Amino acid sequence: MTGFLQATVYGLLQGGLLALVAVGFSLVWGVMNVVNLSHGAFVVLGAYVGWQLNTSLGLDPFLGMVIVALVLFCIGYAVQRFLINLVVNGPIFITLLLTFGLELLLVQGMNIVFTANYQSIPTSYAGNAIVLGGIQVPLGRLLAFLLAVGITVLLVKVMANTRIGMSIMATGMDRGAARLMGIRARHVYALTFGIATALAGMAGTMVGTVGTFNPAAAGGFTLLSFVIAVLGGLGNMYGAMVGGLLMGLVQAWGGYYLSGTWVNALAFLVLVIVLMFRPSGLVGKAFYAARVEV
Amino acid sequence: MLEVKGVCAGYGRVQVLWDVDLTVSANEIVALVGPNGAGKTTLLRALSGMVPIRDGSVTFLGEDITGRSIERIVDLGISHVPEGRRLFPGLTVKDNLRLGGWRNRNTDIDRVIDLFPKLGDRLSQVTGSMSGGEQQMCAIARGLMGKPDLIMIDELSMGLAPVIVEEIIGRLADIAASGTAVLLVEQDVDAALTVAERAYVMETGRVVMSGNAGVLLADPRIQQSYLGIA
Ligand SMILES: Nc1ncnc2c1ncn2[C@@H]1O[C@H](COP(=O)(O)OP(=O)(O)OP(=O)(O)O)[C@@H](O)[C@H]1O
Ligand SMILES: [Mg+2]
Repeated sequence: MTGFLQATVYGLLQGGLLALVAVGFSLVWGVMNVVNLSHGAFVVLGAYVGWQLNTSLGLDPFLGMVIVALVLFCIGYAVQRFLINLVVNGPIFITLLLTFGLELLLVQGMNIVFTANYQSIPTSYAGNAIVLGGIQVPLGRLLAFLLAVGITVLLVKVMANTRIGMSIMATGMDRGAARLMGIRARHVYALTFGIATALAGMAGTMVGTVGTFNPAAAGGFTLLSFVIAVLGGLGNMYGAMVGGLLMGLVQAWGGYYLSGTWVNALAFLVLVIVLMFRPSGLVGKAFYAARVEV
Repeated sequence: MLEVKGVCAGYGRVQVLWDVDLTVSANEIVALVGPNGAGKTTLLRALSGMVPIRDGSVTFLGEDITGRSIERIVDLGISHVPEGRRLFPGLTVKDNLRLGGWRNRNTDIDRVIDLFPKLGDRLSQVTGSMSGGEQQMCAIARGLMGKPDLIMIDELSMGLAPVIVEEIIGRLADIAASGTAVLLVEQDVDAALTVAERAYVMETGRVVMSGNAGVLLADPRIQQSYLGIA
């Protein structure tokens, strides 16, 4: 029983972090109808930026995350503004191809700069654990979970209540109508992508503090984001949260009861089952459900 | 205020507008009528930057706006209430209005609610669930939130009952009097020519008649083709 509870706690903690990994992917898909295959590469890039700040400046990764977010935001903004915006009105196949190419480029670039070796961002405290009734709660994971959940909730609030959030939502629903309101859609798209990469980067840094990463991990993060986004309901940010937690639990329980390779299959099994009963995802329709094209 | 000279425009290889001239003065109501497919919607799109202009020029308040972006044209004071209204369907009336005032940070919705009091009772209703008339009121109100100098309304009466059309068209004079000129595209030629001071008749992408609305209303060609009077 303790083993099961331990797995559950571990799964929830991991799930919160996975939610932050995926929420930007879901945002970009929802607002721009772009399935960003390079998303996972930005997660790993964020981990490397955090790692670099830690190794060369000795910056604590949980503080360095602020800089990681800024750096990744600027990169994301530029990538959307000067690259993806060029084809964003085209068929989804084109954006798939472009972001796929971008992922190859980023991963290969990171292989060259950082090598393919596994890295992690060490801290003096992340490994310490609080023990509650025989269940271990590692501090680093708890901190990552709380930050990830906090940031996701903050994102939802920003979307609903600020000028920038409103312009992003409106552009996601009907780009043409939003432009007729004077909202500069290209800028909004770039902002959206920048926010998504900033969140991915922060998630990546935290992944680096609780585990290991290398450039090749990018694909796995993209795939997970894809599954979580669809699970929760596309473009729905709370949905990404629910999807992330569920995915964390599934992985932890699967790991507890099944042997290694079954865990990934289980994740997809859950996806198929959820979609069978709730085709629009667990949390349901997102704000852009009635999207108008053109 | 708005001066359109020799405008040609279209979609891809298809040219729709041929050498269109049109003017709108400050505080004026101008109607644009014509059969389906005449190019009325295309002209409004060209004026708001949604469709590129191939030839000719558009001047607004003394500034050449030919080839400007949609956002820039909105900035300069032209508001376009598009065909099909294009409200943000998942958002409430209030949020739609706030988005209308997004550009100039105008959150004062009282002015447009005075114009369409019915909207006042529906502020927290999601626009997708409202009647067509209420949606059209909301779309026009949203278009006025930016305090434009010119509002272009496409197919005001589309799918609406005559009483509602009358009610909404009745507000156009107030809109014009408050400093926003109106360019109205309308299928209901009788209603449009009654409310407007001047009018343009378009057929197959060209302006074929123009002038004082009352005079056009009495013109036998108009009566025959558009009003069903033999
Ligand atoms: N998005 C488009 N792509 C290609 N052709 C178009 C497009 N929209 C309109 N057209 C064509 O342009 C011509 C003029 O259409 P437009 O919509 O401007 O006419 P309209 O006068 O507004 O007609 P209606 O009264 O039916 O609204 C038509 O022949 C139409 O087929
Ligand atoms: Mg039309």
